[in-house]
Amino acid sequence: MAKPVCIIGGGVAGMQVALVLSSLGTPSVVVEKSAALGGRVPRLSKTFPFFNDDGFNDGKEFTDTLERDLRAASLAEVRLNTIVTGMRGDFPNFTIELSDSTSVAAGAVVVATGFTPFDPASLEEYGYGVYPNVITATELEWMLNPRGPTGGKLVRRSDGKEAQRLAIVFCVGSRNKRIGAPFCSRICCSYSTKQASTVMERNSKALVACFYMDVRTYDRGFEEMYSLAQERGVRYIRGRVSMCRQLPDGSISVRAENTLLNRPFTGEFDLVSLSTGMRPCEDVNQLARTLGISCGPDGFFLCREWFRHPHDATRDGIFLAGCATGMKPIRNCMIDGAAVAARVTASLREAQA
Amino acid sequence: MPTATIPSETIKEIPKNDFFLTPSCILGAVNPGTEVLISRIYDLLGLRWKTAGDRAESKCTCCTGFSSHGDLITIESTLLVAARLWSIAAEMGLENITTACVTSFAIHTECLEMYKHEPGLDERVDRWLQQACGRRLQFPKHVVHASDIVYDNRDALAQKLRYRLVDHRTGRPLRIVDHVGCHYAKVFPEKAIGGAESCDVLAGLVRAWGGETVDYPERRHCCGMGFRQCAIRPNRGYTMACVLKKLESMAPWKPDAILTNCPGCNLFLDKEQWAILQMTGTEYNIPTLSYSELTGLLMGWDPYAVVGIQAHTVPVEPLLDKLGIPYDKSKEWLTKEPVEVM
Amino acid sequence: MTKDSSVRNKVLPTDLLSKSQAELEAVPDDELVTSYESMRDQKAPEDETYPNIRRLYGTPLEREKDRREVRARADACDAEMQEWYEKARNQPCTWWLKNHLVAKHALKSCLACGVCTAQCPAAQYYPEYNPRIIVDAVLSENEERLAELLKSDTLWYCGQCGSCKPKCSRENNLMGLISSLRFLAQLKGYHLHSVRGRQQYAMRHLCGGNLWNRACTLYFRNVDAANHPDFGPRYAKYHAEADTQMVRLGASPDRPGQFGGRKLPPQTLAEFRACVAWGGTLALWNQLERCAAEDAKKNGVSIDEYHDRVHREG
Repeated sequence: MAKPVCIIGGGVAGMQVALVLSSLGTPSVVVEKSAALGGRVPRLSKTFPFFNDDGFNDGKEFTDTLERDLRAASLAEVRLNTIVTGMRGDFPNFTIELSDSTSVAAGAVVVATGFTPFDPASLEEYGYGVYPNVITATELEWMLNPRGPTGGKLVRRSDGKEAQRLAIVFCVGSRNKRIGAPFCSRICCSYSTKQASTVMERNSKALVACFYMDVRTYDRGFEEMYSLAQERGVRYIRGRVSMCRQLPDGSISVRAENTLLNRPFTGEFDLVSLSTGMRPCEDVNQLARTLGISCGPDGFFLCREWFRHPHDATRDGIFLAGCATGMKPIRNCMIDGAAVAARVTASLREAQA
Repeated sequence: MPTATIPSETIKEIPKNDFFLTPSCILGAVNPGTEVLISRIYDLLGLRWKTAGDRAESKCTCCTGFSSHGDLITIESTLLVAARLWSIAAEMGLENITTACVTSFAIHTECLEMYKHEPGLDERVDRWLQQACGRRLQFPKHVVHASDIVYDNRDALAQKLRYRLVDHRTGRPLRIVDHVGCHYAKVFPEKAIGGAESCDVLAGLVRAWGGETVDYPERRHCCGMGFRQCAIRPNRGYTMACVLKKLESMAPWKPDAILTNCPGCNLFLDKEQWAILQMTGTEYNIPTLSYSELTGLLMGWDPYAVVGIQAHTVPVEPLLDKLGIPYDKSKEWLTKEPVEVM
Repeated sequence: MTKDSSVRNKVLPTDLLSKSQAELEAVPDDELVTSYESMRDQKAPEDETYPNIRRLYGTPLEREKDRREVRARADACDAEMQEWYEKARNQPCTWWLKNHLVAKHALKSCLACGVCTAQCPAAQYYPEYNPRIIVDAVLSENEERLAELLKSDTLWYCGQCGSCKPKCSRENNLMGLISSLRFLAQLKGYHLHSVRGRQQYAMRHLCGGNLWNRACTLYFRNVDAANHPDFGPRYAKYHAEADTQMVRLGASPDRPGQFGGRKLPPQTLAEFRACVAWGGTLALWNQLERCAAEDAKKNGVSIDEYHDRVHREG
């Protein structure tokens, strides 16, 4: 029996790696630190760009299906509430130490640890953490989810009243040299458009304004999602928001320049959602040390070769899948997972030859 | 009212003693008490400080900040004037500059920063300084604003204050708007306590001394002094509009006072309230004090002879009534009286 | 500038205070300077004050004296920066942007996100003012567009508050850039084309006069009730008593001391003037004088009338 591949992270990318490895006849152990599989996807109220991609009404329906398939796959083992505490050996003979005091003799390792959304509390000009009606995109998403705290209704956190006016601020924590994050987080424009479109679909009288610098709805089906959002009445104002301030009644005053009209703009909203960009997973540095791999200047794990080996980490036998190399849409995490599974299988075969 | 917490990255290093105090051009002019009070506070705290000379022979010139932002002086001239002041400080064995004015703070900081970005600048300025006045370029160790020192010592001062920022009749903490000078917090945010957005240099004093800060939409809006905008009369509408904007924004919270750390802000937020009353009919009547004036009042120092509240356009007496500080209105315009400071 | 006692005997220094601009222009350089200085340095017998400073500041006499003195000083000075600024006048705007100490570090690249304009108090007050568009003009490196900007009023609307600076996600220094552009506008004489730009002549004598004569940008008597009716009657009362109140509070109006209003010793003033001169500022002040003289002549007014006019225009 071949040594299993140790997959660190049980999000959609990690699950996909395990599923495809299983179909290729390679065993795997999925090590997930939280109590559930699926990563950040189960809380999504909708997926994009089609909102009902593959017939799944929300993120959890999709991850439930993946999990069902994974549990049915005989060659994949899942360990929840477990983290990697150490690693010894080299490719193709690693020994992975786990927090449940066991160890796994693994032929290869796949890092599928995902990302962390940027915490906007440090961008004090937006008032997150100080003003109740300033929330993050993650919080907005959960609020829009019928499974969530308000049954899917948009409400002001200050007083529980219905929120009619929503501002969505793009590029929070991204494209900002000043805070050491010059990169673009790539999918925020798209997920924000999805959220805005959802709100308008449910309440045609709502006022939803997206404050953008660019609209990077770049992938297949995304631009069409953007047009649909506009047709539904979402307003797009080109200008980076410079500050949010709370008014006496708890509403938030948002300031930006409308750069297409060359005029400063100030508007009042019930809720302001900060579309936060990405940061690496919380334990990225520790994991990099444990595994002996490098990270790039943006903090995410670095691949060995940009074009030919985009899934190889900087050490033999260790591979990278999903948002561990930067935020990407679910579909690309799935594509990554499949590609990595193929790459791992081929590498193991070569090593054992 | 919510007050943001200070991210640890923007806590700055504040020197503890041995200060070279650079006086301001405008502060000493329009609110003279404010500036002299800084020296009194330093003395109260037992700090060692000098201003480049005793009564007979002051070598301290202005930093040229106002002229620089008024576009009348070259950056190189400003660098030389600053270098001269640093050389005087060095002569006296002082490596910590504390400025009375926030524009000076930004100017000195800008000069220091410039040497980091421009290779060879230090040699050129050193050469010119020698040619101009026989002095050498010597960098100070710290450049801070005098309000940084008061902030750093706010708890020690809290022990000494005779009065607290509460309405002594009801026990209600007074609501104080903190208006931080733009050149303190915005030009080099990493050199401001709390950074540009949640600047704590004045809010910290309010909290430590029993008051409550006010968070209102235009909290970080400039007072509008604007250098050439306030200096030339036809431009002054801009200044007035900025002051009005702030007053309108803070009014719903009914603040008891505005606290400042900049000479320009102290001047315009106070004095334009009269013009605004004439033009809009609204009497905001919010007393505006600098941190040094507030310290002096809470210490129980004479409001007229030492703090100089008579220089203010919006009467400060109603605030004194709230604080429970006694005053003799007949002494407002007296001169040549002996002064008991402490 | 020698002290000629025979000259002194002819005209009493204080007579100069009552002379018209045309009459002052006829007084030779050294007599003008010597008379001014002898008045300034006169001490009151009963205390340490210099009572003539208040009679001299902001007068046509002081301005005329400054004109001559600064010109002579600039001629005699071989400061590297003075030469640099004099040559810079004739270089293209794009040259300045790459070579001026402030401009060259001010702008790296621009996202055109508008966060600067969003926060700018001037952009909210002046509808045509937009710092983002100014950056666009600078990045265009188009000489004509730049010249147009330098000739416009809009360049002068910035209040130098720096509200833009902590916001810029590309770490540009917009405040410094605008300051640098304003300097260039004056050097090239483009400031004459706008109301706000012409005001620089008033600033030259207000701040420049204070710097040159008192080593302090603002003199306490400048902030008087006549110039500041917006401050109201309470301030007027205070300012009428400014001298005694300042002494009461520990400041030093027109006398030696450490705090506000102090008269500096001659050595300090000399060192300060040298720093100003060696930094090249005199090239600007002379250029401002040249431009003002030209503009005054074109408008058929004396330089003094011109000075008053630009103080009030707009």
